[in-house]
Amino acid sequence: MVKPRPFSVIIQTMLKLRSRFWRLFRVYWLWFVRAGIVWLILVRLAPAPPRAPLGPQQVVETVKPQVCVHTRLIDEVYEWKIQRSLQMAREMGADTVVEFFPWAYAEPARGQYNWTSFDRIIKHARNQGLHIIARMGLVPAWAREDAENSTLNYLPDESFDEFAAFVAAFTGRYAGVVDHIIIWNEPNLSFEWGYRAVDPAGYARLLEAVYAPAHAANPNVVILAAPLAPTLEPPGSPNGLNDLLYLEALYQAGAAPYFDALAIHTYGFTEAPEAPPAPDALNFRRAELLRQIMEHYDDPARPVYITESGWNDHPRWTKAVRPSLRVAYTVNAFKWAEANWPWLDKLCIWALRYPISTRSYPDNFTLLTADFEPKPIFTAIQAYARGWQESDDLWLPAPGG
Amino acid sequence: MAARPWRLILPALALAITLWLWALAGVLFVLRWNAVERPGPPLKELFPYGEMRVGVDASYPPFAAATADDLFGLDIDLGRAIAERLGVPVRFVNMGYDGLYDSLKADQVDVVISALVIDYSRANDVLYTIPYYNAGFVLVSRADRPFTTINELSGYTLAFEFGSDADTLARAWLRRIPPFETRPYELPAYALDAVRLGQADAALVDATAARLYGRDFPGWNMQMQPVTDSLYAAAVRIDRGKTWEAINYTLQTLADDGTLAALVERWL
Repeated sequence: MVKPRPFSVIIQTMLKLRSRFWRLFRVYWLWFVRAGIVWLILVRLAPAPPRAPLGPQQVVETVKPQVCVHTRLIDEVYEWKIQRSLQMAREMGADTVVEFFPWAYAEPARGQYNWTSFDRIIKHARNQGLHIIARMGLVPAWAREDAENSTLNYLPDESFDEFAAFVAAFTGRYAGVVDHIIIWNEPNLSFEWGYRAVDPAGYARLLEAVYAPAHAANPNVVILAAPLAPTLEPPGSPNGLNDLLYLEALYQAGAAPYFDALAIHTYGFTEAPEAPPAPDALNFRRAELLRQIMEHYDDPARPVYITESGWNDHPRWTKAVRPSLRVAYTVNAFKWAEANWPWLDKLCIWALRYPISTRSYPDNFTLLTADFEPKPIFTAIQAYARGWQESDDLWLPAPGG
Repeated sequence: MAARPWRLILPALALAITLWLWALAGVLFVLRWNAVERPGPPLKELFPYGEMRVGVDASYPPFAAATADDLFGLDIDLGRAIAERLGVPVRFVNMGYDGLYDSLKADQVDVVISALVIDYSRANDVLYTIPYYNAGFVLVSRADRPFTTINELSGYTLAFEFGSDADTLARAWLRRIPPFETRPYELPAYALDAVRLGQADAALVDATAARLYGRDFPGWNMQMQPVTDSLYAAAVRIDRGKTWEAINYTLQTLADDGTLAALVERWL
């Protein structure tokens, strides 16, 4: 007699079980149907995600129209969080928000646009009475060579026209609603330029490619040249290029006719907002050096938008200050800009809130926690923007004097 | 026909037992497979550039910081220790935090060791090693009145730094547990001073701040009770499984033989 192998025994057992199951199903099929109905009812009873219906049209109450904040809404899953964020931006007294609108999200396949995620942000911003400055970037895989090994910031020259077509589609769709567009972000950093050597002439070509199609789609659109990362990287550095040198090179590359305004990123890092600017210092007033370059190239009438600014209060990061100083520096920065920078249109703080915590020091740039808990910096900016009196006694004196 | 539920239960039980036995056999096979010592892949396969390129944001002491011509800190020492055990030269690539994960994707570095907190939303892109440090919040108290849970705070005073994450956490606790008195100070060191000098019952600070304060006051027998986790780990690109395995195994051996604890003790 041949002894059956264990594997065949298991197969036979499973076949027997299957036939027994079907026999039982034929007898008790009504109970299976009933169980299915109960399951369906239980699924329907599960709480639905919170809805975010548009409420009455809101108006921003502010006495400081320069106050603006950069939001991070595009990666929000829940619409109510988008609505809540924009509501809190309005309540803080900001009448404008900067938001990122990634090309990769809107055009996942060549020529096939999906505006859903953009629409839901824009409708809620309008409902809250907020203006939007839209930042464009992030390349879809189909527009990148070697998409597997390139980052989303890699935009080859051959795709400039494709990117321009997307920008034109965006400006046309949202004409009259979103009339300020930032083309790219910090192209003076190699990682923002897809890990290629930074190339001011290349970025000038990108502006040229975008400018005419965008204006054809929306004659009133204001094209903002990308804000540059504040950095002291020398020429030839693999990481990037000094923002002052980059802006000079951009003008020399003939970019001036292809942007209507300049976006600037200026962070205070560890210095007070009043600290004097210097070419070898990174501080809040570095914006004045960029402005001097504009004036040098006979470009004083062109407006400036500071689309990212602020201080960080992480306890470990070397470029951060204590939370108490962050509050004081930020409010004083608004006061400084109002008193001394007539060329400035908006001063936007980075950032209102992140959708989820980064679990590192970037979290300490935000004004709200991911759970919408206002930090003292939010309250301080709100008091400034809305003309409220704020308490001076925010903390206790040091123990032991 | 009368219902005979055992006719349904018994086959289901038999099926469940069969599946469990298969699962057990699978586990035993994997355990046996892993127990066999095999030569690892050649270093050239683990580190194609002939060196271990470590991405680091050297603006984060005492984990990583920079002088004009050198890097130093716990993450730097850890990177060197791992490379030494693996027998491969190490090169640190200093960059901003924003570029750390992208540098893995763009193959600029082999591993990031930079106080990275394990972030499960990045699980499709990177492999994290075992954690090497917990930077979460701790409740610091005196030895004569230790606190082991936040619920014990009720009726006592809690000190923290104004505007910090501890401030936010304390306000969240106030909504969830019976009330306690809050004492915000301008600096975390002042909050810890308040406990040491008897002006507060406990302080809420991050573990690193507490450990550094403890070095300044070695005679003070402070009690530290972790209340949140913030686990630091190294990260490798998801398709570099063998590199991850080598680094993770090495990190585990450093933890097992006490080298990791000595490194942490050196800096914190």
